[in-house]
Amino acid sequence: MENILLRDKVAELEGYFAAGGYRALKKALAMTPAAVIDEVKKSGLRGRGGAGFPAGLKWSFIPGDAPGPRYLVCNADEGEPGTFKDRELILKNPHALLEGMAIAGHAIGAASGYIYIRGEFAAEAVKLEKAIAAARAKGFLGRNILGTGTDFELHVHRGAGAYICGEETALLESLEGFKGQPRLKPPFPAVKGLFASPTVINNVETLAAVPAIIERGGDWYAAIGNGKSTGTKLFCVSGPVNKPGVYELPLGVTFKELLEKSCGGLQEGKRLKAVIPGGSSTPVLTAEEAWLVKLDYESLAAAGSMLGSGAVIVIDHGQCMVKLLQVLARFYHHESCGQCTPCREGCGWLEKLLNRLESGRGTKKDIDTIVSVAEAMMGRTICPLADAMAMPAISFVKKFRSEFEAHAAGRCCPPDAPVKH
Amino acid sequence: MPKITLDGKILEVDKGTTVLEAAQAAGVYIPRYCYHPKLSVSGNCRMCLVEVEKSPKLLTACSTECADGMVVNTASDKVKAARRDVLEFLLINHPLDCPICDQAGECGLQDYYMEYSRARSRFPAEDKVLRQKRRALGPHLMLDNERCILCTRCVRFCSEVTKTAELEVMERADHSFIDLKAGKTLDNDYSLNIADLCPVGAWTSRDFRFKQRVWFLKKAPTVCLGCATGCLTEAHHNEGEVYRLMPRPNAETNTWLCDRGRMAYKSLRAGDRLVKGFIKNGLIDLEPALREAATRIDEAKGAAAVLGSPWLSVEDNAALALLAAAMKTENVCFDFKFETGIKDGILINKDPSPNAAGAALLKAARGGLGLDEFRARLNSGAIKLVIAEARAAALLKDELKASGARLIAFATNRGDIPAGAYATLPYASYFEVPGTFINYQGRRRAVEPVVAAPAGVKPLWEVLNKLAAYSGASLRLDSAADAMKGME
Amino acid sequence: MAFVTEEFRVKAEKICAKYPKRDAALIPLLQELQKESGYVAEEAMDELARFLDLPYSRVKAVVTFYTMFNREPAGKYHLQVCRNISCHMAGAPGLLARLRSKLGITEGETTRDGLFTLSAVECLGACGAAPVMQVNDEYFEKLDESKLDALLEDLKHGKYPLKG
Repeated sequence: MENILLRDKVAELEGYFAAGGYRALKKALAMTPAAVIDEVKKSGLRGRGGAGFPAGLKWSFIPGDAPGPRYLVCNADEGEPGTFKDRELILKNPHALLEGMAIAGHAIGAASGYIYIRGEFAAEAVKLEKAIAAARAKGFLGRNILGTGTDFELHVHRGAGAYICGEETALLESLEGFKGQPRLKPPFPAVKGLFASPTVINNVETLAAVPAIIERGGDWYAAIGNGKSTGTKLFCVSGPVNKPGVYELPLGVTFKELLEKSCGGLQEGKRLKAVIPGGSSTPVLTAEEAWLVKLDYESLAAAGSMLGSGAVIVIDHGQCMVKLLQVLARFYHHESCGQCTPCREGCGWLEKLLNRLESGRGTKKDIDTIVSVAEAMMGRTICPLADAMAMPAISFVKKFRSEFEAHAAGRCCPPDAPVKH
Repeated sequence: MPKITLDGKILEVDKGTTVLEAAQAAGVYIPRYCYHPKLSVSGNCRMCLVEVEKSPKLLTACSTECADGMVVNTASDKVKAARRDVLEFLLINHPLDCPICDQAGECGLQDYYMEYSRARSRFPAEDKVLRQKRRALGPHLMLDNERCILCTRCVRFCSEVTKTAELEVMERADHSFIDLKAGKTLDNDYSLNIADLCPVGAWTSRDFRFKQRVWFLKKAPTVCLGCATGCLTEAHHNEGEVYRLMPRPNAETNTWLCDRGRMAYKSLRAGDRLVKGFIKNGLIDLEPALREAATRIDEAKGAAAVLGSPWLSVEDNAALALLAAAMKTENVCFDFKFETGIKDGILINKDPSPNAAGAALLKAARGGLGLDEFRARLNSGAIKLVIAEARAAALLKDELKASGARLIAFATNRGDIPAGAYATLPYASYFEVPGTFINYQGRRRAVEPVVAAPAGVKPLWEVLNKLAAYSGASLRLDSAADAMKGME
Repeated sequence: MAFVTEEFRVKAEKICAKYPKRDAALIPLLQELQKESGYVAEEAMDELARFLDLPYSRVKAVVTFYTMFNREPAGKYHLQVCRNISCHMAGAPGLLARLRSKLGITEGETTRDGLFTLSAVECLGACGAAPVMQVNDEYFEKLDESKLDALLEDLKHGKYPLKG
C-alpha cells in the first residue's frame, strides 16, 4: 500500500503543497473542532510514542469551558533506544507534522504550540524552523491562518539531553525551564499541563497522520491495519539485518514480513535469537515468539510484549543477552531522573548486579536478585521509567536464563559470541 | 462530602482531603518521608503507597484525593511488601552508621526498618554510591549527603517557606545530591527547621549534635519569648539542662520556629548569666545588692520611677506596679506601643518584645504614664532613679544617660544591662519560673517552667518583694499570682 | 557581565518572547551561552540566574540534570559515541576503544591540544545507521574503523566543514 507519512518529494513546502499538502488544514478549519475530533476518533489513531492512547479521545479531554490559553505540544524527544522514526519523518515530511499540529490546535482550541525536539537533533530542529517559516509565509501558520481568523503560532524548543523528557509531564517541566522530572498525576495535562493550562501532548508520528485522516476520512484510515490497531506505523528496524531503517507498514504486519520483505532479512551468517519489538523498554521476545507475531498493539500485548514506539531491535545469536541487558541497565540508570526511590535506587542496583554477572563475578543468587529487584520497581513510581527498566530485566532473565546461569558459573558469553568485551 | 472505606472503617471527609490526611485523622498512621503537611506534595519517596480498590497500581496516599466510594487498604500484604521494598531501596546506598549518627532515636529509616523490614542487606557494601560526607553548611546546620534519602523536604522548605531557594537536588539518578551554591552558606532565619524536617540524619543541628542521645530527653511545652509572635515551642531537657528548643506546631501561631528563637535557651547557661547582683561594675551577693538598691530608692523618694517591661510576664509587671504603689510614686509606665505584625511573612514580628500586650493590661488596670510622658519627665530631671527590667531600660538609655538618673535594673544576663546601670539584680528566666504572656494576636499563654533556676536566683516578683521589704514597705507576695490580685 | 552581554540580552529577549513565562527560556538561554563559550561556566549560571531573576540553585540544578551541558570547556571537536543497544551490537565498544587508544584519552577527557573531547553517550536516535557518533552537532553514521580513522584525520586537519 502507499505510504501516508514517509513520502518522497515532500521535504520542502513546494513539493508538499504540490502533493496536496495543507488541503486538510483548509478543510479542518471549515469544520467545527468537535467534528475534527470526531473524525480523528473515528480513525482509531492511537499515540505513536509508545503508550498507544487513542488520540481523538485525548483531545476530547480538554475541558471545553476552560478559560485561558490551551497548548498543543509535539513530543519529538525521540530517545527510546531503537527508535529513530520521528527524526526521519521530520527530515522527509516536516509539513505533515506542521499541518497536523495546526489541525490539532484548531480541534483543541490552542492558539500556540511547541515542538519539543531532543537537543541532539540539531539539523532536524533547523529543518523544522525553516519549515515553520515557510508555512508561516504562506499563511498556514501564525495569525489568521488562511484568512479564517484562527491563530496558531508554533515554536521549536530544543531539549538538552535527558531521556526522561520523552515522558509527557517531564517534557512539560523541561519546556517550562525546569529539570525534567515527571509530575504527579492527577492533575493530567489535559486539565493542567503546560504553564498550568490545558494541554495536549502528541508524538510526531501521531500528529503527522492527522492531515491524511482529515482529508480522506477517519473511516478510510480505520480500514488500514488490524482491528483496533488502525493505520500505518513507522517501524524502526535496527540490528544485524541487511537493510535497517524506517519502514511504514500497516499495523498488524508480521515480524517475518517486516524482516524479510522490507529489511532484506538477516545479515549473512546471522541467526535470529531474540527481538525487542517496541523499543528497549518493552519485554524481549524469543525468535520463536517473534517470528510470526503481528506487529500491532493487541497482538504484541497478547504475546507478552508491547508495540511501544515501533522500534524493532533484532538480536542474533552472536550477542550475549547478559551483556545487552547490562547495556540497557546502564542506560536506565543513567537516565533515571532520581525522583522516586524505587527507580533511583533500583536502576543502579540492577546495573551493578549485571556488572557482576557479566564480568564473571556474579552468583546464581544474583540472577534471582535481578528479578526480585525488578519486580520491586514495577508499578511503584510516578512515571513508567522504572517499569521500562524492569520489563526488559525480567523478560531477559526469564527467557534467556541459561545465559545468565552460564555467566554465574564463570562461562561468559554464549558459544558463538563474537568477542568478549 | 466523600465517604471512603479505609481498612474497613467508613470515613466521611471534606472534599479535597487526601487518603493520608483522612487516615491520619482516623488514627491510622501511614509511613512517609517526603510528605509534610506544610509543604507541597512531591510524592517521591513512595513510602506511603496504599491499595485502592479498582486501581491496578498502588497509589501514594499523600497525593491521592479521597473520592466517594473509594475503598482503601493501608495494611494489606501488597502494601506491606511495597513498604519493605521501598525501605530496602532507601537503605542500599545509606551508610548504616546509626551508632555514630545523631539522628538515631528519631530517624525515619530506623523506625520503619524495625516495623517493616528487619531483613539483612543483600546489597554489597562495596557497591554503595559514595556521596559527600558531612560538612557544615551555614551557622546552624551540618549536611551529610551520605545519609540523605532525597525526599526534598529541605529543598521545598527553602523554596516554599523561606523563599530563599538556596537548595536544590543536583545531578540525577542515584548520584544526585542536595547542594547549594559553592561558597554560600545556608543562613536564612529559619534554617534549623531543616534539621527537624529531615526525616533522616542528613541534616543535623550543629548546636545539638552529640550533646545528648534523644531518648534521654524529656519534653516540656513552653513559649518562645523572642518577639511578639509568641511561637509555641517545646524545650527538650535532661537533668536540669535544656538541650534544644523545637516548634510545637499549632494552627494559631506557628508551624516553624526561627533560628534566633531556637537559640534562646542558650542564655540559661551562657557565660554572662547573672547569679549575683551588680553594683556599678562589682559583683556582690544578692542580699547586699538589694540593700544597696533599697537605700538608693529611699534616697530618691518621690523622684523614683518604675518602668514596666514588655519582656516581663504579666505577673511580674503587676509586681512592679505594686512596688510603684508601695513607693507612692506616680512615675510609673506600662505603655509600650511597638508596631506589631509579621515582618518577614513567616514568623518574625516587628515588635521585638513578647508581652507589650501584657504590659498594656497593667496600664489599663493600674494607670500610669504614657511612655513619651515618662520620657519627658526623665528628660526634665524630675526623675532621679529608675527601677526597670534591663531591656525595657535600654529603650530609654539615651534619656537615662543624659539625665544622670540612677538605674536599678533587673536582668537575667549581663549582656542585657544598659551601660551605666547603678545596680543590677538577677532574676529567674521564664524557662525557670512561670509567667503569663500575651502575643500580638492577643493570645494569652501561660508559660510553665522547664528547669530550675540557678541556686540563689529568684523569680522577679520575689526580688521585688524583698526590695520593697528593704525599703520598709511590703508587697505581701507569696507567688507570682498574688501580684494579680484585684486585677482579674 | 562577561557572559550576559548586551548582545546576549538582545538575543535572549527574543527567545524569552516565545514563552508566556520568561523562565521557560532557561534551557534555550543556557544553550546560547554554551554555544558562545563551549561550556557553561559557574559565572555564566550566576549571571543568567540574575538575568532571569531565578535562584542560582535552579539554574545549577538544570545544568547538572541535562547531559548536553558541558561544565568544563570541551575540545574543539566533541566526539560523542553512542553506546546503546543497537550501536553496541554494531560495534560501538570497538569504536570507543579505538578512539581511546588513538587519542590517548578516556571518556570525559579532552586531548591536551584541546582538539578532542571524548564522550560515550546514550541512544542518539539513529539506530538504523548504527554505530553512530555525533561530533559537536553533527551525526556520523554507519561507522567502522576505517571511516572513523579517516574522519579523525579530516577533523585534525580541519578538512571537515562542521556546521554549527
